[in-house]
Amino acid sequence: MSTIQGTGGPAARPAKSVRVVIVDDHAIFRSGLKADLDAGIHVVGEAATVEQAIAVIAEQRPDVVLLDVHLPGGLGGGGREVIAGSAALLSATRFLALSVSDAAEDVVAVIRAGARGYVTKTISGAEITDAVFRVAGGDAVFSPRLAGFVLDAFGTAPADIADDELDKLSARELEVMRLIARGYSYKEVAKELFISIKTVETHVSAVLRKLQLSSRHELTKWAAERRLL
Amino acid sequence: MTTLPVRPPLARSSDRIIAGVCSGLALHLGWPVKTVRWGMVLASFAGGAGLVFYAWLWIMVPTADEAARRNARRPASPIAPAVSRPPAATAADDGSPMGAAGPDPSGTGAPPAAPWFRVQGMRYGKEILLGCGLLLVAAIMIAQLLGVDVSLGTLIPAAAVLGGASIAWMQLDETRRAGLLDKTKADQAGGWGRLAAGLALVVAGVLVMVSGSGSWEQTWLALLASVAVLGGVVLVLLPWALKFWRDLEAERAGRIRETERAEIAAHLHDSVLQTLALIQRRAGSEHDVVRLARAQERELRGWLFQDHGRESGQLSDRIKAAAAEVEDLLGNAVEVVTVGDAAMTEAHEALVQASREAMLNASRHGGGTVSVYLEASDAQAEIFIKDRGPGFELGNVPSDRLGVRESIIGRMKRHGGSAVILSTDGGTEVRLRLPAADNAEGKP
Repeated sequence: MSTIQGTGGPAARPAKSVRVVIVDDHAIFRSGLKADLDAGIHVVGEAATVEQAIAVIAEQRPDVVLLDVHLPGGLGGGGREVIAGSAALLSATRFLALSVSDAAEDVVAVIRAGARGYVTKTISGAEITDAVFRVAGGDAVFSPRLAGFVLDAFGTAPADIADDELDKLSARELEVMRLIARGYSYKEVAKELFISIKTVETHVSAVLRKLQLSSRHELTKWAAERRLL
Repeated sequence: MTTLPVRPPLARSSDRIIAGVCSGLALHLGWPVKTVRWGMVLASFAGGAGLVFYAWLWIMVPTADEAARRNARRPASPIAPAVSRPPAATAADDGSPMGAAGPDPSGTGAPPAAPWFRVQGMRYGKEILLGCGLLLVAAIMIAQLLGVDVSLGTLIPAAAVLGGASIAWMQLDETRRAGLLDKTKADQAGGWGRLAAGLALVVAGVLVMVSGSGSWEQTWLALLASVAVLGGVVLVLLPWALKFWRDLEAERAGRIRETERAEIAAHLHDSVLQTLALIQRRAGSEHDVVRLARAQERELRGWLFQDHGRESGQLSDRIKAAAAEVEDLLGNAVEVVTVGDAAMTEAHEALVQASREAMLNASRHGGGTVSVYLEASDAQAEIFIKDRGPGFELGNVPSDRLGVRESIIGRMKRHGGSAVILSTDGGTEVRLRLPAADNAEGKP
């Protein structure tokens, strides 16, 4: 979890600062996270429940929402419900899921709801800053664990020829996912595969799209079966 | 009453002639089963005292299974009766040959209720029941031959009442056990049938007995009257009975919740509170605090998310255990991601050992988080161990240092696998690969 970017260097930072809303029901965690975030990130709002979160996001229209997967309130859907409730803003506001749970079921649910990435709460301040910039820039953030989930869910056999079906990963996407699962940063993945960082980001975004759009019911079933990961 | 230091709880034993009361009592008192049984039979002659005592114990004393469940901390699971039966119950086995094949006490004219109950839990229940019935008939005929006046008019209704009562009471016992064994509804339907049959028998018997050999008209009237009275009583008592039942259910549910809460509290106390106390005492040492927190997190996560359905001892479990061990030993986090899994073999054991060695090296020399990735399929198992330390040149490692050369590369080769170590200034990655056994047969 601590190797989203590691020593791979920060993502290209946008010129303007990033506006962020933190949604987490633990005040201690919120204040800790706020203190950890880089100066280029402005926390414009905080929320502790599903209702508060939807209201604050609609009011502030932040660039990025740091969203806890488990939240009180609403209909019990947690982070997933917040994303669903903010669906109208999804083009401008991006969600980065934070969790202590590590349960595949939770993670896959929140990603499929529309989150652009998933990191665990033990992540360091520098790494979370980096992840926020990356998500703000439109990229996906995959932790090694999320890459592991993807490989487990989609299987490790590549799709036939260059078909664009959603149920399988291409050989290249598999390679990228494997390297991320092994703890490689995007930069290291690029170096290892002799491709540019931009291409790595494109592959990761493609995998994220498949994860979100794949209609195979096995994905949800798989996640439900694997409670512990 | 002798005072034994530890007395087994009074419970009806599964080694039973009728309902396991005698052997349970014998176990509790520490007396021979035989003595208790004969004592009970003899006491029956003293104005039926033995009988009454027996019936009372039967009703009040739980079966061994029930007692075990009551004492168990966890809520009952379907396997609980089989697992948690106290050893005392099996200790009574020495009495069982006598119990199973012993002379029928009722054959000698003792507890009259006994033969009907004997079906309970016996392998040849029906045959034994039939035999006892025939024996009883024979005894009556002999008695009549000897000149004792036994009027069939009282005998048949009495038999009907006893039979009906026994069927109904057996049902009670049965439902008690059904609660433990989670019997299907089909069995419950059978139970209701039995209850109805028993009830009908008893009612008919009592009617005939009370009304004597009166006319049908009288009997009919009596039946009507008694049903009316019974109906009235039921009407009055039903609310109480329902309330009683609901209270019982509520109390049971509450007790289960309480047990669960106590278990969680006990666990949190043993683990999390202790760790928090330790963390406060070691607040000065960042290294210790991180290590304690990591270890506690791992433990709690394992406890919360443990999947009972999954078989343990798989390759991924072993790798995670090795990572945990290294984490505890050296303090640096070891992140494990696994895809797929495989059952352990001897070669996998070597793979785990080699991985552990690689993790130790990575944690020791890398000095930061170690990433471990396991991908296992039917064809092969691959493990990647990556750190972000300064890296090293394999050729520079002195030949007397066995760590890398022997424990990792040599070990993998001996088991038909391979090990590659890649080191750059950005970190070191150890790649271990082990083909599945049938794929590896072609090796020299």
